[in-house]
Amino acid sequence: MSADQGPSSTLLPVADRRATLAALGRLLRPRRRLLALAAVLFVGRAAVGLVGPAVLGRIVDLVRAGDAASAITGPAVLLAVAAVAEGLFAWAGPAVGAQAAEPALADLREEVVDRALEVPAGEVERAGTGDLVARVDGDVAAVADAVKQAFPQVLEAGLTIALTAVGVASIDWRLGLAALCALPIQLHTLRWYLPRSSPLYASEREAAGGRSQQLLETIGSASTIRSLGLAEQHHRLLAGRSQRAVDLVNAATRLRTRFFARLNLAELTGLAMVLGTGFFLVRGGSVSVGGVTAAALYFQRLFDPFNILLYLVDEAQAAGAALARLVGVSDRPAAVAPTGAGTDASVQVDQVRFAYDAGHEVLHGLDLAVAPGERIAVVGTSGAGKTTLAKLVAGIHPPGSGTVAIGSVPVDAVGSVAGRVPVVLLSQESHVFAGPLADDLRLAAPHAGDDDLLAALRVVGAEGWALALPEGLATVVGDGGHRLTGVQAQQLALARVVLVDPAVVVLDEATAEGGSAGARSLEASAEAALAGRTAVVVAHRLTQAVHAGRVVVVDRGAVAEAGTHAELAAAGGAYARLWDAWSDQRERGAGGAGAV
Amino acid sequence: MSDGAALRRELRRGNRGPLVASSSLFVSHQVGEALVPVVAGALIDRAVVTADGGALVRWLVVLAVVFAVLSTSWRWGDRVFTKMYERAGHELRLRIAGRMTAHEGTSERTGAGEVVSVASSDVEAATMGLEAIASAAAAAGGLVVAAVALLVIDWRLGLLVLVGLPPVLLVIQVLVKPIERRFTEQQELVAAAASTATDLLRGLRVVKGLHVEANAADRYRRASRTSLAAGLRATRLYSAQQALTVAVTGAFVAVIALVGGRLAADGRISIGDLVAAVGVTQFLVAPLGRVGWAVGELATARASAERVAAVLAREPGVVDGTAEVPPSASALGSVELAGVHHGALAGLDLVVPAGSFVGVAAPEAEAAALAELLARTTDPSQGTITVDGLVLAAWPLAGLRAAVLVAEHEAPLFTGSVAENIWAAGPPSADDAGAAALLAATSADEVAEALPDGLSTAVTERGLSLSGGQRQRIALARALAAEPSVLVLHDPTTAIDSVTEARIATGLRAQRQGATTLILTTSPALLAEADEVAFVVGGVVADRGPHADLVGRNPAYAEAVLT
Repeated sequence: MSADQGPSSTLLPVADRRATLAALGRLLRPRRRLLALAAVLFVGRAAVGLVGPAVLGRIVDLVRAGDAASAITGPAVLLAVAAVAEGLFAWAGPAVGAQAAEPALADLREEVVDRALEVPAGEVERAGTGDLVARVDGDVAAVADAVKQAFPQVLEAGLTIALTAVGVASIDWRLGLAALCALPIQLHTLRWYLPRSSPLYASEREAAGGRSQQLLETIGSASTIRSLGLAEQHHRLLAGRSQRAVDLVNAATRLRTRFFARLNLAELTGLAMVLGTGFFLVRGGSVSVGGVTAAALYFQRLFDPFNILLYLVDEAQAAGAALARLVGVSDRPAAVAPTGAGTDASVQVDQVRFAYDAGHEVLHGLDLAVAPGERIAVVGTSGAGKTTLAKLVAGIHPPGSGTVAIGSVPVDAVGSVAGRVPVVLLSQESHVFAGPLADDLRLAAPHAGDDDLLAALRVVGAEGWALALPEGLATVVGDGGHRLTGVQAQQLALARVVLVDPAVVVLDEATAEGGSAGARSLEASAEAALAGRTAVVVAHRLTQAVHAGRVVVVDRGAVAEAGTHAELAAAGGAYARLWDAWSDQRERGAGGAGAV
Repeated sequence: MSDGAALRRELRRGNRGPLVASSSLFVSHQVGEALVPVVAGALIDRAVVTADGGALVRWLVVLAVVFAVLSTSWRWGDRVFTKMYERAGHELRLRIAGRMTAHEGTSERTGAGEVVSVASSDVEAATMGLEAIASAAAAAGGLVVAAVALLVIDWRLGLLVLVGLPPVLLVIQVLVKPIERRFTEQQELVAAAASTATDLLRGLRVVKGLHVEANAADRYRRASRTSLAAGLRATRLYSAQQALTVAVTGAFVAVIALVGGRLAADGRISIGDLVAAVGVTQFLVAPLGRVGWAVGELATARASAERVAAVLAREPGVVDGTAEVPPSASALGSVELAGVHHGALAGLDLVVPAGSFVGVAAPEAEAAALAELLARTTDPSQGTITVDGLVLAAWPLAGLRAAVLVAEHEAPLFTGSVAENIWAAGPPSADDAGAAALLAATSADEVAEALPDGLSTAVTERGLSLSGGQRQRIALARALAAEPSVLVLHDPTTAIDSVTEARIATGLRAQRQGATTLILTTSPALLAEADEVAFVVGGVVADRGPHADLVGRNPAYAEAVLT
């Protein structure tokens, strides 16, 4: 039953180079005119940048020729005009480029989130939400940074280098050749640097992630650490992880400083060659002093672009990898739109088999029928398959074989048809969405008015505390906002169910929160939320079984018993054992304790 | 002096050596950068114009020396600086974590998320103050050398640059200020969209359970479009800022070229001087800009240092006791509460004899208050709590925590394997039989069986990879493995089915044989195992006796625990 890498390491797909380029083309094609305009503007800027050194060289020659001081005015004015023009290009180029690239980026990230939300639950369970979150968070940011900063900078640097090379060569081709002497050193440096930097930066990022995670764990679990006396152990853990991150940053800095030192050498070589060559050319009379001055100034202008270009190669690689991971998600086929809506609120489970991992079957041909409006409680020991059954009934996982249908339409075809969601699942795992409380609820019903939201909260008994929040429905809750208690979070979840208004509700231990007292109040909330709906309630608190119309006992992936609470409690089977344990009638026999 | 100011001074003083060393090296780097155009100008003057081969070699050597100095200075300056900067951040993070996990606890109970953010971004921003200092020093060094060079070339040209450039850059700063502010606002909107996506995906199971994927996608699309509009505005603003700098400094260089060119044409300065003047003027833009950056950065660092210092200076939740106590191993484990008031508790009296197994059936608020007091995260407003006859406040905290373990409801698990979690607070029992008994008693053996790699299965993200019932059983085993003299369990089995729960109750009792156990719960399976149950109503013990007796004679109790 062991897959090669274990099921927990199955990550979501990553696109290959061709698919990535194809996706890029698809995103950029509709914006090609803007992109072309941006390219023209970038070239314009680089071209205007050539004016400065040429004009300064011209001034040097004018001075050398012994011209009057007034002759300087013309070139100086030209310099000023060129500066203003360069400023205009520097403004327009990136602005137009962004107008083309950023909407494409937005399209991509929206596609990624769309598909990410559609990824089948089974796949997400295997890969963990961590991978998905990392892609939508880190990878989108990496690509955005590249699009907004690295790419324009690289383009600008590349164009400046190309056009400046033309500028130097136009003074004299030998000067151009002299400037080229820097190139082998730069290329060699790059070949030395890249294989070292990429893995180092990757482990640096990983170590930084490990440190953040440890900080989060140590600080987030502070009270548990205190009570278990684990402070020293955690201090060591954090110190170790933080030290590793520090060591890697220092290693990366050492590498980077060596990289720049080599680039300095390239600069010196190029500059010395240009000046030396200029010296001989001036002596030979083929180039003016102004020409050499311009060439030297040109070459100096190349320092920064070269450094930017070489330095960003790394970032470009990282962005490329991030893009491939994004396209891996966005290229998934879109979910097929559901076709039918159920005819009634009944549930039929027919000969259903299911396995999370091949060869490890959890449900073995389970049958279950729930009439419209009926409430059944599903009970059984841990690991019996209750949660799996709940997920299948709610259409979270498709059955391996057999059928699960709501109103005689298979659940995978019912899905979330525009209009009404036929079945929902609420589990013990709650999540309060960050933002105003009203927005959290509107995730379930986007067009609901405040009155509808309050009505839903009232049904589940949450209206009181919701209105008592500092800003009522507008109070920011969830991560970084007002903290709700476990019971409140679960009531909120029930209110969402009311707003979705499904015909069938599946509750999987959804009311066990907040200790026994909390569980009782949540059961009351659930009771109200379930009114008028078909309900499948997975419960270990048997009070819920007592109130259900019918109790279904699941044992080892199949239905072992079914009937009313009274029937089963008297039948002396699996349920009777559960009930005895629950109501504690075993040996102590406090008569009548079972009368609830 | 505020706590933040003290912290910043401590950072400066504690890192004085490396700070001075790296700043000096950065200064030397900047001086080198300033000298490159000067040397190039001199070379053109002395060698190219005069066609003097010896001068060419001499000045090329000078150029090489300047490059060697600036390159080496940067290389070592950056290394020394990074080492210092990283170590300072490392130490602050450890101090914050240490403060949060110290036995005394903290009186403030603000969200962990906020403290984590202080420990990451604020620590970084506070130590950035060191970078601002080094950077400003380097810029100042470069500025002085450039100023001297210009004044030596020609005092009029020097004065023009030194008097003219700062106001020009100041004007840019003033023009750029509102742009920067709006830029920051836009950046925040962009970040907000990213966190919307992350949050939606963290709640993916909820979204999928409700089948509202389309609504969630719509919500992200709205955030993404807001972010796109903000991002476009931000880019336009940013390039406007860049453009302004390019145009204004370019125009200023034109002025220098005009004035310098006229001076050169009049023969008052040489051609090399003109080249150097233009080069130095271009060089000046960067360090002057960096001074502005450093000023802004120092303001940010100041605000962040205040927040870091505020966390470090949090009041302890309780004061450590100083009484002499016998080593924890010999603690007997009798617990007594007399007239205790705290939160929902209104004069609670309770005696738990050493070695007994006692249940407390209390409403949630009372149970929470009791757990808090026994863990001594806070002291009762009235009344006394004693363990082995010694008032809690007199116990040294380290000894008390070793003797009394309060296992909170929903205590988070740690990253690591299941086994590492279970034996986190104590080494695995010497004999395997003991370990097996512990696992069986808490049904943690069943958890391990159901997991892919058994006890070696990795636990991730606070145990969220496990089901609630699995988490609870591992947490319970962890508490038992610590083998404290007094174990307080708060609702340890809320996510566990009743058959398993009954088995755990029996196992628990056997495991705790001879030690004191106090269970805060309304679960009948657990209460049935207790020697005695205290039924708490309205903050006081309303009734007490064995579970079966109470169920039989006290209808309120039966109602509280059996429904």
